[in-house]
Amino acid sequence: MTVTEVSVGWVPMAAALLLVVAAAAASLDGALAARSAGQPLGGGLLTPVAETTRLFRQRRRTTAAADLPLQRIGGAGLLTAALLMVAVVPFGRWTVADLTVGIVWFNAMDVLVWAAVWLAGWGPNSAHALVAGYRFLAQALSYELPLMFALTAPAVAAGSLRLGDVVAAQSGLWFVVWMPVAFGVFCVAVAGFSVWGPLGAPASGVFTEASGVDRWLLSTGRYALLTAGAAFGTTAFLGGGHGPLLPAWLWLLVKTAGLLAVLVALRRRLPVVAPERFAAPAWLVALPLVLLQLLFVSVVVVVQA
Amino acid sequence: MDLNRLAARRTAVLAVEVPGWSRTRCALEEHVRDRGWRLAGSPADADLLVVCGRPGARLTAAVDHVWSQLPGPRARAEVTTAADVPATLDRAAAELADGAAQRRDAADRPADPDPGTTATGDGDMGDMDDMDMDDHDMDDSGDMDMGDMDHGDMDHGDMDHGDMDHGDMDMPMPAGIGLAGGGDDDQLPDPDALDLDVLHVPLGPVLPHWPAGLLLHTTLQGELVVSARAEVLLPAEDAPPDAPVHGTPAGRWDAVATLLALAGWDDAATRAARVRDALLAGGQPPEAERLARRITRSRLLRWSLSGLGRLPEGDAHDRLRHWLEGTEQRRSTELTAVAELVTGLDLATARLVVASLDLDTADRVTVPAEAGS
Repeated sequence: MTVTEVSVGWVPMAAALLLVVAAAAASLDGALAARSAGQPLGGGLLTPVAETTRLFRQRRRTTAAADLPLQRIGGAGLLTAALLMVAVVPFGRWTVADLTVGIVWFNAMDVLVWAAVWLAGWGPNSAHALVAGYRFLAQALSYELPLMFALTAPAVAAGSLRLGDVVAAQSGLWFVVWMPVAFGVFCVAVAGFSVWGPLGAPASGVFTEASGVDRWLLSTGRYALLTAGAAFGTTAFLGGGHGPLLPAWLWLLVKTAGLLAVLVALRRRLPVVAPERFAAPAWLVALPLVLLQLLFVSVVVVVQA
Repeated sequence: MDLNRLAARRTAVLAVEVPGWSRTRCALEEHVRDRGWRLAGSPADADLLVVCGRPGARLTAAVDHVWSQLPGPRARAEVTTAADVPATLDRAAAELADGAAQRRDAADRPADPDPGTTATGDGDMGDMDDMDMDDHDMDDSGDMDMGDMDHGDMDHGDMDHGDMDHGDMDMPMPAGIGLAGGGDDDQLPDPDALDLDVLHVPLGPVLPHWPAGLLLHTTLQGELVVSARAEVLLPAEDAPPDAPVHGTPAGRWDAVATLLALAGWDDAATRAARVRDALLAGGQPPEAERLARRITRSRLLRWSLSGLGRLPEGDAHDRLRHWLEGTEQRRSTELTAVAELVTGLDLATARLVVASLDLDTADRVTVPAEAGS
């Protein structure tokens, strides 16, 4: 299966698709929240629409002596990073940007999130938001290095940083089968850069002063990052578009939706972990484990060659 | 579907509990949940501001200030009995949906964000917990209730703001707010020895999942509380409060719900609140036991709460277990002890620790207490 780069005209379509899947994730979260509140699930499913309506008619609130340009850059940064992430993910036979360094690109975009979240915390000139912004950086220090090595594993196995090659290399066996640790670490890191679930501790602080469209951008950006992470995880570990009967693009969509649903459901199951508590297991357990995983993958590749 | 009605499905309610009205606040939370609405996490997030009980003068001033921070469309209500909650919410929802009234409200508001009482006041600004409206408090040296900031002239950051008083207009005070500074008088040794800027941030009295009326004056260096002083803002005099919830099984589940909400476990927190409301309604919720088992078994929760707020009889997780098993001992936590317990913690952990104490602010004499230096 070869991947062809489509014209730039398709970019809005890719963005719309990302938003639709992100909205579906928000719907699922709303339905699960409604279930725990003892409410009909149907009402919960409408959550993204209702919340969008509510926030679009809400006044945009500013705080005294806010750093508006930086605040707005930070607010829009999450959604932007998510869009740039999915740009390199092959959608079946097509991709928006067939970069030779697709994996590194994804990694660079998730580092962009560091700046975005921190700026969103810095901008409003509020102690709570600022502290949360810094706490996100502390959390990012914990998940980023394990994530980088987790991303290296599929690249080593495929012998390429191009995502099309990574997908092609999984025609026989999905990478998740022989690199489960890397996949697990990757999923935790997706929760990390989406400020989600157990790693969502800084979210409420960063959101403290945001209202109206600013809050919408932040919260949509989080769902979009979660979606982009799931799409990338599907591509790098779950065989991308490979699968019987269905066309490749549909397989990608189905697998992404499945992984995304698991990530969304995880939030209901688990409490958050404070960034300072997360550092020790991330560096002392996850990092050595993922390095061993990488060693294992490298040995297998060398032996096979 | 009508857009107003669609937006109203997600109405966010900022609940303010006055000491003594926890029964009303529980009823409010129940009705908010039953309508598919939700509780707001901060004023910026809220559509409705609902005060449960009759606040005294200082608490009223704080609530008024929070009211000015709601973005709008917004509505405000006060409710003093659990039975009045549904009607009050109906009225507030109608006000929220009244386009003409909302436009009038918006037109009457100043375009610029309210910096509180500006330089001559307490340096208050649009910060969610910045509700310290106390007059004598202004005389505290350098009580700048402010976030850290960059106003484009950072060289002023090097100046000494440690003992500024608010009338001193030589100081650069962008938008009427003093800068955080390395204070010589204020500066206390912090665990990381970083000598970070000193910042005074009040926690409460209007803060979700926070004891009613509690106002914790904290001094931060970086994100750590280096000293704190706690006091309780009183209800209006002669106001007949609700029957107490504290000390009953429902009160224990209320404490569980509060702690879990702060621990970020929304699902279990919501279910705990449902158990509480069923108990308040006189039922015996069958799911209570299963939920208690599920909460006690969560390793992640145990790990994230262990060691927090250590008292002679145990830490936050021990207290949570006692609430769930109904074996907790009633004790009175002095306000000084609260201040001591949060000293040395970061903001988020401090809130968790305060929640784990399950303070009954309706049941104490207000003695401002100093600790931490």
